[in-house]
Amino acid sequence: MSGDSLPLALPLSRLATGACEVTDLYRELREPLLRYLVCLGLSRDEAQDVVQDAFLSLHRHLASGRSQENIRGWVFRVAHNQARNRQGSYHRRFGEPLDLEIDARLDETTPERVVLEKEKLRRLGGAITLLSESERECLLLRAGGLRYREISEVLGMATSTVGDTIERAIRKLAEKCNV
Amino acid sequence: MAWLDRELGNDEMVELERHIGACSECRSRLESYKQASATFDAYGHAVLSAKTQQKRLPRWVPVLTTAAAAAITATLVLVLLRARVEPPALPPPAQVQVQAPPPAMVLENVPAPTPAPSKTMHRPWATTPGTPRRTANWQPTERAIQISIPAESMFPPGAVPQGVNFLADLSIAADGSAEQIRLRPRMMEVPRRQP
Repeated sequence: MSGDSLPLALPLSRLATGACEVTDLYRELREPLLRYLVCLGLSRDEAQDVVQDAFLSLHRHLASGRSQENIRGWVFRVAHNQARNRQGSYHRRFGEPLDLEIDARLDETTPERVVLEKEKLRRLGGAITLLSESERECLLLRAGGLRYREISEVLGMATSTVGDTIERAIRKLAEKCNV
Repeated sequence: MAWLDRELGNDEMVELERHIGACSECRSRLESYKQASATFDAYGHAVLSAKTQQKRLPRWVPVLTTAAAAAITATLVLVLLRARVEPPALPPPAQVQVQAPPPAMVLENVPAPTPAPSKTMHRPWATTPGTPRRTANWQPTERAIQISIPAESMFPPGAVPQGVNFLADLSIAADGSAEQIRLRPRMMEVPRRQP
């Protein structure tokens, strides 16, 4: 028997349950994961590849009967590491001008509202570039719906440090953007 | 922020909530944090949508593609029309041997009869490289056979003035059949009456 094949002792019911869990998690986490990876600086195609690889790894992880604790954090960590492998300096691309996108998203509001939102996002983009890498990553993972404990597992830092980092980052953004 | 994110224990949550209700400074700071957090989330959505937009083709690409396709089609049509106006290259000239039809009438002004019973002639469509190309109204420049026909054999006596005969130019096709015949009146010498 090759090393890649499933262990013989694995019950089929567990395999089916694992596949169902992966499908549910994929529906729940696909969009936040994509957003996180794209905000790190990956292209959309690269981000989709990473998401698929991460869920393939999750399927193997669950099928092999390993720990099922903090699965969301596990998926984010796998995706985060793969993104790091693909793009060494991805964080520098976060904060690019988004004029085209803002036009598309705000076309149903009034022109004054569009101008205000554009200005707010532009100032935020400038403020994001002033954040440290860990602050940026903490905020991105928090925006993806992860709890502090899950973020700490993804980034490999203490939960209390995550809380402090997030508070510091939000305070910086609020001061710079004057929002 | 931990209170906003519900990351504190129950006791701490209750205590902080009580404080925020009483402290206006903390309330305003909390409001600014909420706004910064919401703006950051919106920025994340905007980045994802912007990357999706970048993947789409610009608006001018389909227009340019259609214009290029129309230009190519127009060029092809023009080339094909020009090719249809000009006839294709003709085959090289070929010599054919045709059987001359036996003259039924008196022959005049015919080149010296050859001893062979067949006559060598050019195909009417065969051209040499230096000669002009054949057109729809092409007429053979050289007469193949000239036949002199007396007027009395075609018309009743007196219908045609005396001394008028007819000359038939007959061209023969490759298969030996008559391809074209042209009839021309011709004045013959009439002996003067002696007074």
